[in-house]
Amino acid sequence: MIISWNWLKQYVLLDMPVEELCYRLMMAGFNHEGTTEVGGDLAIDLEITSNRPDCLSHLGIAREVGALYGRPVRIPAAQPTEGNIPVERLVQVRIECPDLCFRYVARVIRGVRIGPSPAWLARRLRTVGITPINNVVDVSNYVLMECGQPLHTFDFAKIQGRTIVVRRPKPGETIEAINHQRYWLGPDMCLICDAQRPVAIAGVMGGAETEISDSTTDVLVEAAEFDPVSIRRTARALGLHSESSFRFERGVDPEGVDWASRRCCELILQLAGGELAAGAVDVGRKPPQRQPIALRFAQIRRILGIDVPREKVREILLALGLQECPPTDSDLAGCSSVSQQPIKLNSLPMDPSSAICTSTSAGEPPSSIPSSGSPPSSASVRSSITDQLSTFDHLSTYTQPSAFTQSPSSTPSSAFVHQISGQFTAQTRSATENASGSSPTAQIQPDRVLLLPPSWRSDLQREIDLIEEVARIYGYEKIPEDVRVPMTPSVRTKQERVLEKVRHVLTGCGLDEAITFSVVEPGWIRAFLPWTSAEPLRTQTPLVRGANVLRQSLVPSLLAARRTNESVGNSRIELFEIARVFWPQPGALPIEEQMLAITSGRPYLELKGILEALLEALKISEPLRAEPAQCPQLAPDNSCRLYLANELWGFVGQISAELQAQTDLRHPCTVAEVRIALLVTAAELVPQYRPVAPYPAITRDVNLVVDEPVRWADVAATVWQAGGPWLESVQYRHTYRDPQRLGEGKKSLLMTLAFRCPDRTLTNPEADQLRDLIVAACQKHHGAQLRAG
Amino acid sequence: MSLQEFFQELELFGAAATQRFAAAEDTAALEAARIEFLGARSGRLKQLQKALGQLPAADRPQAGQRFHQVRQQVEQAFKAAQARLCQQQRASRSAELFDPTVPGLRPPLGHLHPITQTIEQLKEIMGRLGFSLADGPEVEDEWHNFEALNIPPEHPARDPLDNFYLATASQLAGGGPMLLRSQTSTVQIRVMERQKPPVRIIAVGRVYRPDTPDPTHSPMFHQIEGLMVDRHVTMADLKTVLRMLGESYFHGEVHIRFRPSFFPFTEPSVEIDMSWQGRWIEMGGAGMVDPNVLRAVGYDPEQVSGFAFGLGIERLCMRQHGVDDIREFFRNDVRFLQQF
Repeated sequence: MIISWNWLKQYVLLDMPVEELCYRLMMAGFNHEGTTEVGGDLAIDLEITSNRPDCLSHLGIAREVGALYGRPVRIPAAQPTEGNIPVERLVQVRIECPDLCFRYVARVIRGVRIGPSPAWLARRLRTVGITPINNVVDVSNYVLMECGQPLHTFDFAKIQGRTIVVRRPKPGETIEAINHQRYWLGPDMCLICDAQRPVAIAGVMGGAETEISDSTTDVLVEAAEFDPVSIRRTARALGLHSESSFRFERGVDPEGVDWASRRCCELILQLAGGELAAGAVDVGRKPPQRQPIALRFAQIRRILGIDVPREKVREILLALGLQECPPTDSDLAGCSSVSQQPIKLNSLPMDPSSAICTSTSAGEPPSSIPSSGSPPSSASVRSSITDQLSTFDHLSTYTQPSAFTQSPSSTPSSAFVHQISGQFTAQTRSATENASGSSPTAQIQPDRVLLLPPSWRSDLQREIDLIEEVARIYGYEKIPEDVRVPMTPSVRTKQERVLEKVRHVLTGCGLDEAITFSVVEPGWIRAFLPWTSAEPLRTQTPLVRGANVLRQSLVPSLLAARRTNESVGNSRIELFEIARVFWPQPGALPIEEQMLAITSGRPYLELKGILEALLEALKISEPLRAEPAQCPQLAPDNSCRLYLANELWGFVGQISAELQAQTDLRHPCTVAEVRIALLVTAAELVPQYRPVAPYPAITRDVNLVVDEPVRWADVAATVWQAGGPWLESVQYRHTYRDPQRLGEGKKSLLMTLAFRCPDRTLTNPEADQLRDLIVAACQKHHGAQLRAG
Repeated sequence: MSLQEFFQELELFGAAATQRFAAAEDTAALEAARIEFLGARSGRLKQLQKALGQLPAADRPQAGQRFHQVRQQVEQAFKAAQARLCQQQRASRSAELFDPTVPGLRPPLGHLHPITQTIEQLKEIMGRLGFSLADGPEVEDEWHNFEALNIPPEHPARDPLDNFYLATASQLAGGGPMLLRSQTSTVQIRVMERQKPPVRIIAVGRVYRPDTPDPTHSPMFHQIEGLMVDRHVTMADLKTVLRMLGESYFHGEVHIRFRPSFFPFTEPSVEIDMSWQGRWIEMGGAGMVDPNVLRAVGYDPEQVSGFAFGLGIERLCMRQHGVDDIREFFRNDVRFLQQF
């Protein structure tokens, strides 16, 4: 939201440097994005959070400044002079979709002269980034930027049947908007129509056919309240985002609709002439009744951790436009005795116009205001004229309207009254009442206060909302940053500890950690799919171009990263990633399995060795079993699937030529992917000590010739079984094939056995004997022959 | 063999070996002589050792002593010959000079991703402050991502264009859609649903928001979130914990500044600034857990209160290491990864 400094000055006294104001606003929740000079004015860019649509306007920011600096805010009276013809005779309004349009206020001005806006108006619009068009359109934009209520002006002569119908589109209906684009309308969009056709997309953009032109003489002024959700969806669906839709999406002040309409008419009359028809056609629901909120003072300390003096709490909330309500009986029960009396209200002003503006005629205070003198004992109206600008002195300023009724030539209207907000009326009334002798309540103050939020603050509904307001204005800097927070132990989960070890091992093995997106292109998901055959989950919109499939394996993403590295000529590409994959389940959230995947330039057995090293690092004693991978994306002779504790742990191998071609990789590579969860379960993070024998081991190399189908793992198992308790290790050396020396279909397995006895040095004959037992067992079970030398 | 004969053999062996070692003109000749005399399998010394074993037991100590002496002499002679040849060799290659600056043979080192390093650092600090790690899914239902976090159905934050909803073909049993979580606050809900107060946790992980990738935006990024719920938890506790986090992270004195903000799941809500080296640095968002959130998980907001904060990992990491493009984190160029 861009705020014009000169414009803002119209509503609240600005005698501080602009930097200071921006800082205070920032610390009150309006981030300052920057200030630029525009034609002698300052354009202050403020970020407005979505809960504060009331501040998407100069008056909204003026109210905040008023509350921060304890200054009165001058709100234009908006009392246009009306002619004699009742508006009902000129136009009819019907809402056929009350769920999309809550309220519609129409006024008609006849006999305007369209022309350029005066310089002051054009300047202000330019400062806030709006291009001036003509006096009538500019006024509607001006009032939008003034109070945040979007308005639309129609060329009334082009409204057929002198009728406005607010309805949903008929099938196939289209409209040409003022940007001269034609839009097809969806079934749940809200349209403003005349007797025949659509004339505007409600709250989003007007139609071209009824827009104000140089020949326009009669103007219909629309001020309405539309369903925020419908406006948001419509603007999104049509790709039409406007200042209007932005505000309707966030919600407008339901009690400020009519004020905006009057204000718009007042300025049109002033700048374009014409005669305003009497009254307004005002259809739709009444603004919802606001509910008072109870604030228990003790809750402020409970949430903020600091005490805020009760007077200060009241002062802040009243300055923000809340009205104090009389305490209920339950409030008075158990309340403490104090010197102040609660403010008493006769009735709350629910009339929309009175909540916004109390003025009855331009430049004069309302008749209910005391003409002079300091008001009675109400805490919030105590201040005297002399400390006018100190904190909270609306009454005193009220009594001196002339001090603020500065109407320089640049001011659009001379009709100003001074008021900080709706609560002012209430206080004034209570003050009047007290002054005229109504009996004060007892000298007690309850532990809570009942407050009615202003109509423009629909975000204030609960006690906690008021606590936030108190904190925001009182200042978060008053909350200490050095209190005692009780100590408590934290626990590192087994998963965290396992992952830390895994990462250490992998980086120790020379692998770099990668982080890739969780979503891949549909073509890539098929690249490596050994885990599930379920149809993958898709996002409605792709994460990045084309990537809309939740991955079921990390391998494709790593291969893509490998390709990226190849393309820039990196030769050593050793990557791993630890992340989740998503395996769909019918009717439930997917299984999110945490995986470790690797891509490497090393041969298959080296990569397999890294996985085995992980098991060693985690002291996993569960058996690891390897089977043929049976995975078409892996080279059958250089890959396997691994089982840990008889559960499928993962895959490791060289990628197939097809996968290499498919992923556009220049060089062959190896990949691995294993489930982290099995490691977490099996890891032994607190290994138990086993004594080490103080005697040397004796080793024996054994070379066994076996038939090709005999697997190493089976031979090794036999070796272990036959080796007895002194067999300390069985180390695979390599496999040797030589049809001439070994025979067809034969291979020789070379291994080194180590024997050690815990209580003495083994002798050579003992070691030889053990070896012979082992060889005999292998012969028996696998037909193995000992090969000499 | 008699003792006498054994001694004779021994002397012969000693003399022959010493002579041959001394006469060797190159390493190959020396190696051949070594195998002949000292070879472990069938060298002459080995044979003498066998002969020693076959002597009468009474002679053995005397014979053994001599055997040992001779073996030492021969081994000495071998070493001397070795040293002599080595020196000769060096002298003959006098043109070659030893270069001490030739680099060592370095094992390749792997690198943790900088995002992991930042996460580990923050986790470690928060652990010392008593916060334990909690976890939750990345694909979420609307209850955990929105409803329980005080984001009702019509809230703009739920707009399909602002979230990665999954295609409607996949729905939950109850008919609700699924989506990639847009914040780690979902984990707050999951923890509080299964655990009674007090709660002191952090949640770390990937979150997803439809942003077009540019130097400061990525559709996937990482968050760390802290949550503390107990009796008497206040905003002063929040500020204090954040200050301690800041001081540990930046290794020095840090102050915290709150700017009012708006998040549906906290009230009051603030933006966190930390003072560091004379500047205010934006760190993330925080606030007191909204009573509606506490109610949604079955806590009584009259009994307990809590704070929550969330920091963007990438932003911290970028500032820490001077990275100026968030997309580098996910391109995985090893030249980038190896810098950390």
